[in-house]
Amino acid sequence: MSRIRVLVGVLGMDQHELGAVGISKMLRDQGMEVIYTGCFNTPKSIVATAIEEDADVIGISSHSWEYLYYIPELLDLLAEKDLDIPIVLGGSVITDEDAATMRARGVAAVFGSGSVVTDMVDTVRSLVAGEPAS
Amino acid sequence: MSENLTRSGIDLQPVYGPSAPSADYQEQLGDPGEYPYTRGTRAYTGQGWIQRELSGEGDAKRSNEQFKYLMDLGQTGLDVIGDSPTMSLMDPDHPLARYTVGTQGVSLCSHEDYRQLLDGIPLDEMSVSSSSPSMFMVASLYLVAKERGISPAALRGSVIEWPFYSENCSYAYKMPFDLHLRMSCDVIEFCSQEMPRFHGFLEDTYFFSEAGLNAVEEAALGFVEIRHIVRTLLERGLDIDSFAPRIAILTNCSMDFYEEIAKIRAMRRIFARMMKEEFGAKDPRSQAVNIAVHTSGLSLTTEQPANNIVRGAVQTVALGLAGVSALEISTFDEGYRTPSKEAHMVGLRTQQVVDIETNINSVQDPFGGSWFMESLTDEVEEKVLAMVEDIESKGDPAELVSSGFFKQFFHGTMGRFHHQVHDGDVQKVGMNVHQVPAEQDTLLRDISEEKIAPLFDRIELLKAFRAGRDQEALLAAFQRLHDVVQSDENMVATVIECTEVGATMGEIAGILRQAWGTPYDPYGYLESPLDGAR
Repeated sequence: MSRIRVLVGVLGMDQHELGAVGISKMLRDQGMEVIYTGCFNTPKSIVATAIEEDADVIGISSHSWEYLYYIPELLDLLAEKDLDIPIVLGGSVITDEDAATMRARGVAAVFGSGSVVTDMVDTVRSLVAGEPAS
Repeated sequence: MSENLTRSGIDLQPVYGPSAPSADYQEQLGDPGEYPYTRGTRAYTGQGWIQRELSGEGDAKRSNEQFKYLMDLGQTGLDVIGDSPTMSLMDPDHPLARYTVGTQGVSLCSHEDYRQLLDGIPLDEMSVSSSSPSMFMVASLYLVAKERGISPAALRGSVIEWPFYSENCSYAYKMPFDLHLRMSCDVIEFCSQEMPRFHGFLEDTYFFSEAGLNAVEEAALGFVEIRHIVRTLLERGLDIDSFAPRIAILTNCSMDFYEEIAKIRAMRRIFARMMKEEFGAKDPRSQAVNIAVHTSGLSLTTEQPANNIVRGAVQTVALGLAGVSALEISTFDEGYRTPSKEAHMVGLRTQQVVDIETNINSVQDPFGGSWFMESLTDEVEEKVLAMVEDIESKGDPAELVSSGFFKQFFHGTMGRFHHQVHDGDVQKVGMNVHQVPAEQDTLLRDISEEKIAPLFDRIELLKAFRAGRDQEALLAAFQRLHDVVQSDENMVATVIECTEVGATMGEIAGILRQAWGTPYDPYGYLESPLDGAR
């Protein structure tokens, strides 16, 4: 079986990379392939890279409220292109309420403050296996 | 208030030391105000530190109201940060800025913004410390002072120069390193001539150390940057004593209580010796460096925000003992946002309680002479110097920036920090030890989670402002700036001319990039006004 390919990136002008770099390292340590796209991404650039790199999962790290606008745009763009790539969103600025909103909008899994890294890794695995995120 | 008494009436000396100072004492420590300034840069004043809190949100008007609110609470200096587009030299109407205008700092791009920001602020009395891009803050501060009949020479405060690390740690200019360095050096030179009381060179070790660096790494990388900028200014033919008195450092402060105190003492000594022995500074003010501190946001947690108040208080005590010139506490809501009104009050009151109620300022450098603290200070100093030497031995520091050495370094420390927290090597109460269920974690949560909406209307207002400018004067100013960048002339005076005729920060930054032979808009959305004119 080929290795799981996860695209990890930060959107807009958010330049807090600590979480994105940290989770990328954890995913790699778990044997996954990480396509790290760094900062200054847009929904368009994320989708283009996801197609080009054949990503199994899109991981967005956020330490800015920009995600509230960009994530719906990203979901719409994926739907428009008929792509079924699950989005995993993480970031300590994400409140429980916003996490629920994002899940309802179509994000596969959301990890706000207090999340455990191993849960994120397990979630990525289940999503790729076609299981619903816990 | 000449008395310096404990509650029981014991008369305290302002500083304690050996009755007969040895040669070793003079060489390693010295009294406060004496070389090598380990114990403090000034003889006892009893005045404590400049108390301020990070501010800036929404537009300039709203941030000006924040300033006044903080001044009413007793704040003694201003500290302002731009939103993420502003910090990255981007105007609010840039397509990539749209969803973040005014949300994590103040949106500033034109001189009119700065006028509103500084409205009613007594610039000849209040120091203005700015984390927004230095060249533009200096240009507008200079203009506002002149407009109000205040001599720019009376201005006090600081701007940050960060050519080495800004690209990799949250404040990307998207400029070639040499251009960013030139901007920094031009600002420092301009300030040393026109605004001699103003610190045109604040070395900020705070923001990059939040990438998970320890105290030694933080100080070492700071000194690598200071040394390179100083060498560049000397190569220009400047006298070290013409600018070194206005170098200051803004450090971080984690929860590692003793080491943070030792770090500040060691940094004062390293700076003094470096300036005197290596760079030949003769003016004692060039050797004595003021250290201001911003307490660590990374040391705080989003779990149980009230715990962060305690962390800020402990850090304030450490810094009071270390003797710092100014202080900003990262507030309890830091994990989510720039400080709320409530958090501003708590942060400032924390500083005031420590300052006023504990007698902490009655004695300077109370740890001086402690076997433990002196040993720790020596060890921190030794490790910092070794790391500086190690980095510089790898090649020209400027090359190390371009080759991605520091980027790789930061990615390493970020990954390391992640592991430390995950594995429990770094313990944080409420986060990875003594956790509480979410339903119990309610204290101050509502305030912490309150959001600031992006200022969409500011984008429209800016478009109208752009259209209303004297386009001919603007183009002429841009052309002149383009020429100046390609010459050896200091750019600041021309940036001021551009600012006066209504040029925005994003436009000026674009012209600088273009004149340097790189794209006007590094993100590929905008066209240069000079291209349309040709």
